[in-house]
Order: sequence, then structure tokens, then C-alpha cells
Amino acid sequence: MHASVGDEVVIGGHRVGMPMRRGEVLEVRGADGSPPYLVKWEESGRATLLFPGPDCLVHHSGEAVTS
Amino acid sequence: MRASDFSVRQPVVIDCAATTADAAALMAAQGVGALIVVDHDRPVGIVTDRDIVTRGIARNIAADARVDSLMTTGLIALDSHAELEELMHVFMHHAIRRVPIVDHDRVIGVVSMDDVLVWLANNMIDITNVMAAQIMFPHGNEAPPVPAPL
Repeated sequence: MHASVGDEVVIGGHRVGMPMRRGEVLEVRGADGSPPYLVKWEESGRATLLFPGPDCLVHHSGEAVTS
Repeated sequence: MRASDFSVRQPVVIDCAATTADAAALMAAQGVGALIVVDHDRPVGIVTDRDIVTRGIARNIAADARVDSLMTTGLIALDSHAELEELMHVFMHHAIRRVPIVDHDRVIGVVSMDDVLVWLANNMIDITNVMAAQIMFPHGNEAPPVPAPL
């Protein structure tokens, strides 16, 4: 997985009733766009580190959805 | 109070290709209820004893199934300098009970909700002791302070 600053990450809910979470990549900590990412979550406005799993999608700025 | 101040336990990691039985044995040997799942030393998820029971045994998943088939992906972590308030926020908004603590992108520990509750309970005891002392030994009928002469 690769991401850049400003990309959007989307994670599906892991449990029934848990909403999808969206966030903006603030920092890319890995080499060449690899994880972990510092993500500011849309719901809370807070930032945490994210080690994304296979259910995490990255919306690159101006591009189609990739996984 | 920083998140890393709670992180008294070293993280116990397991390779994503290990089996569920390996994970259970490692939990028993290390006395922990959760393992950080890594792929080439990079964290990719977390698996708990509850995951093994509810996602594995309860669904007749074989003990030799890969541990990454049971793990929770999308690991939410905090930097070691994160404050307690941020840690509480992660517990509340991400519906998780354990948060890996990261220093220079390396997991250095795991803080559980239990760790925080124990810390809060101990602090409540200290506060309660002060209040109990004030109730048992009241400072009633004290004379008002005398202003200092000009």
C-alpha cells in the first residue's frame, strides 16, 4: 500500500453497526509512501498512527479508489 | 501523563503466517491476552484471546489456520509522546481496548484499557484518602485569617 500526504483513507466497519471511518493522511512515516501513516480522522478531528490492513482503501487525490 | 508511561509491558509479536495454535501457545507462555501480528517486522494487526475464541473456535476454524485470518486489521497506534487524553480518545472513538505505542515507527509497548483503569483507580484512592481525612478531622470553627499589618 502506498499513500501520500493529503490522500484519504477509508476503513470499513469491523463489527455490525460500526460505521466506515475516513481520514486524511497527514504524514507518511514509511519509505516510498508505505505505512505507517499519521491520519486525521474525519469523525473526531484527532490524529493517530495507522498500520493499515487489507480492508483499508486509499483515495489518491484526483485518482480512482485503490487498495 | 503520557501514553508511554503506561506501557509497562513489552509487546509480544507473532508472524502473520503463524497458526492460531501458535498464537494461543505464545499467549499462554508470555501471559498476555493480545499479540501484535507482524509481516516482515511490520505490524499489520492485533489478535486477542477473544478473537481466537469468537472468530476461531466458535466457528470451527482449525487450530492450524493462519493467525492473520482471525486478527483485527487496521492497527490504530499512538506515538510515545501522546498524552493520556489522546489515549482515552482512541479508546472511546475506535472501540478498541489495546493501543500499541510506537517510537520511531517501532512498537515499544501496548497499553490496555485495564492499565488506564487501574491507574485511575489508584489516583481516586489518593483523592478519596484526602477527602476522608477532611471528613474525619474537620477544620471547623477556624478563625478567619488575620490580614497582615500594612
